[in-house]
Amino acid sequence: MADSPLSGVRVLDFTWAWAGPFCTQTLAHLGAEVIRIECTLRPCVTRMIPPFADNQPGPNRAGYFNQYNQGKRSILLDLSKPEAVKLAFQLAKHCDVVADNFAAGVIDKLGFSYEKLREIKPDIIQISMSGYGQYGPFKRYVGYGPPASALSGQFWLTGYPGGDPAEIGVSYPDPNAGVMGAYAIIAALLHRDLTGEGQYIDQSQWEAVLVHMAEGLLEWDINHREPARNGNHDRLMAPHETYKSKGNDDQWVSIAVGTEDEWRALCQAIGQPALASDARFKSAELRKKNETALDAIVTAWTRARDKWEAAETLQRAGVATFPSMSNRDLAEDKVPMERGYLVQLEHPEVGRRIHAGIPWKMSGTPSEIQHAAPVRGADTDDVFKTLLGFSQQKIDELRQAEIIK
Amino acid sequence: MSTAKDPRGIGALRVVECGQGVSAAFGAKMIADLGAEVIKVEPPGGDLTRRRGPFPNDKPDPEKSGLFVYLNTNKRAVTADLGKPEGRELLGRLLEKADILIHNVPPYERANQGLDSAALCAKHPGLIVASISMYGDRGPRANWRGYELNASNAGGWAYLSPGASPYPELPPLKPFGAQCDFQGGAHAALTSLAAMRYKLRTGKGQAIDVCEQEAIAAMLEMNFMHWTYAGRETSRLGSRALGPWFLADCQDGKIFVLAVEEHQWQGLVKLMGNPEWASEEIFKDRMSRAQNMDALKALMSEWISQWKVTDLYKAAQEARIPFAPVNTMQQMYESDHLQERKYFVEFDQPGMSKLKLPGAPSQYGKIKWALRRPAPRLGQHSEEVFCGEFGVPRDQLAKLKQSGVVV
Repeated sequence: MADSPLSGVRVLDFTWAWAGPFCTQTLAHLGAEVIRIECTLRPCVTRMIPPFADNQPGPNRAGYFNQYNQGKRSILLDLSKPEAVKLAFQLAKHCDVVADNFAAGVIDKLGFSYEKLREIKPDIIQISMSGYGQYGPFKRYVGYGPPASALSGQFWLTGYPGGDPAEIGVSYPDPNAGVMGAYAIIAALLHRDLTGEGQYIDQSQWEAVLVHMAEGLLEWDINHREPARNGNHDRLMAPHETYKSKGNDDQWVSIAVGTEDEWRALCQAIGQPALASDARFKSAELRKKNETALDAIVTAWTRARDKWEAAETLQRAGVATFPSMSNRDLAEDKVPMERGYLVQLEHPEVGRRIHAGIPWKMSGTPSEIQHAAPVRGADTDDVFKTLLGFSQQKIDELRQAEIIK
Repeated sequence: MSTAKDPRGIGALRVVECGQGVSAAFGAKMIADLGAEVIKVEPPGGDLTRRRGPFPNDKPDPEKSGLFVYLNTNKRAVTADLGKPEGRELLGRLLEKADILIHNVPPYERANQGLDSAALCAKHPGLIVASISMYGDRGPRANWRGYELNASNAGGWAYLSPGASPYPELPPLKPFGAQCDFQGGAHAALTSLAAMRYKLRTGKGQAIDVCEQEAIAAMLEMNFMHWTYAGRETSRLGSRALGPWFLADCQDGKIFVLAVEEHQWQGLVKLMGNPEWASEEIFKDRMSRAQNMDALKALMSEWISQWKVTDLYKAAQEARIPFAPVNTMQQMYESDHLQERKYFVEFDQPGMSKLKLPGAPSQYGKIKWALRRPAPRLGQHSEEVFCGEFGVPRDQLAKLKQSGVVV
């Protein structure tokens, strides 16, 4: 990892839960050294909830923590003690980036405001990722990922046709904030490369999701109309649905047709070439108009076959399709493993486990996961020795005084 | 570019964008919005988002598509038929002076359009090529086709959606919009800028491939590990792990009821006036509240229904409980909070009534995020760019327009 895009970048990581760690993990994937400050008083929430390795609980056995903290280092500080805050401050001097996803104002109260950080490192880059942002009437509101989906209209616009607003399965605003936050930090690093300047970044989880909601928002802005919820259907494309596959165990396959060529290919592939010139389905508009009949025809075909058989048949014909993958399907599909996307990481406490890895490939500076997620506090001694030059004796004294653990 | 400082910062970057749809356009937009110079190369028929809308009064017009305008402010646009050698030659000229190429032309079309990444990097050693694909540009499914619906199912997201569904006969539900495509674009943007730092140090470009399926599969919360750590297959069916957690009806709309930390639950019980049922055994902790969610919902619904959304939201938040309104589009435009943060940007797009576009995803202290140019007309800058800046004689461009290679 000697020459990665973020080689030499060191991050003082105050993040916790999902959004923040997702951001700093993205930086670790690109070669940054990420030092997570974990609090001695209680372990991060993601160390404490299932799934645990082999269903045995333990702060180092949690899948959630281990998935989203790959490649990071962990130190344990009791930030309720002023001496610990001083130590963290000394560490900040050796860091390029300070990141947190606390509620607005918390990082300042802890003693790590941008003004204070700049005094010790003028070109520091700091990001605070909160639910609502650092200012505004709701800045003190408690933000979580799932409510950010409610706030941003994701629930209002998602739902089965004719049905109520629905949730969306995962707390998407969290990893999204992580991705957009990582982008902001990298942009700030590039800005620093070119100008010498650091800066402070205020990111609101709500706003970071809204940038992906334009198609819905502009329906209101342009036409004063709320978009209808239409399930898996599309405003323009048909067929466009996730169809039942063979069997009773919840197997489905997604099919989307965007062009007339693809429509003809689908008709051929399902053994009904005449359908292509059927008066009900001759154009996308007509297919939308007669979508119920169309979906019934497609379902009759998909219900008779396994989802992979259907997908392979249709892809051979040039139709866009993919099975609806469960967590198990993803883990057992050979392709993600062969592509090197699924990785086996060796962890000191839970051994070798499969994790979702890096969703990009770079030819000149290949991205690699440096190591498994850290055992809680495993790097405390090493970080203080190498960055601050502390002796083992000094570290032992700090530990005795319960400033570090 | 060199390691010398440049006060323009990201404004010094030159980006070329190809392909169609959301992903590459959004990735390029992210960089354009921070000041970079972006040239969008459309096929002569125009980007397909010009046909998406929403359109004023539902009247299709390639110069008035809401989604196209949103994705393509701050860019200049040229056209080139990359299926023709003359079109590829024009792209080649642009790439000579570009730092970054972002595109989402599918792997099975790249050879025909002169977009093989290795070949581009060999020809332009300082160029960063960031390509986005549904399933990756290598492997047995590199040539598989996909749209957003397929990516969200391939990535394992749809199978989990909506979550706690009581309708096994209804399919996995795709979340609204083009979220997988937006993530593809965001990943292309962040890896491109990261690669830019390496280029500043070394002068070297490289090829990046972003896989949408994999980006989504990395975002499944704890679901992937439910299988790999504990052998449990999860789906959109079943019940939530923690409670209370559900959407509920107020007088005038829906609210998201969430109180999964003990202190939040206690605060909620107090807000409800300490009803007796709240101390029953079946509601003793957040797991048992989830296991008995239907009963919990039924007991809470009357109390919730007496409130207006805004008032209950405020009361809950004052008690530090993370409720949130199920906002409509209108409610977000009218939000005091978003207005004070100047989130929506008033914008003049030629030929359209004034728009209010979604704004910056992050607020930077030093980098200037701004919408500086309207979204371009089809081929608006072909002459200015090809002839004015890249040395194509005007009569040659006229010939290319006649033959349809350029618009």
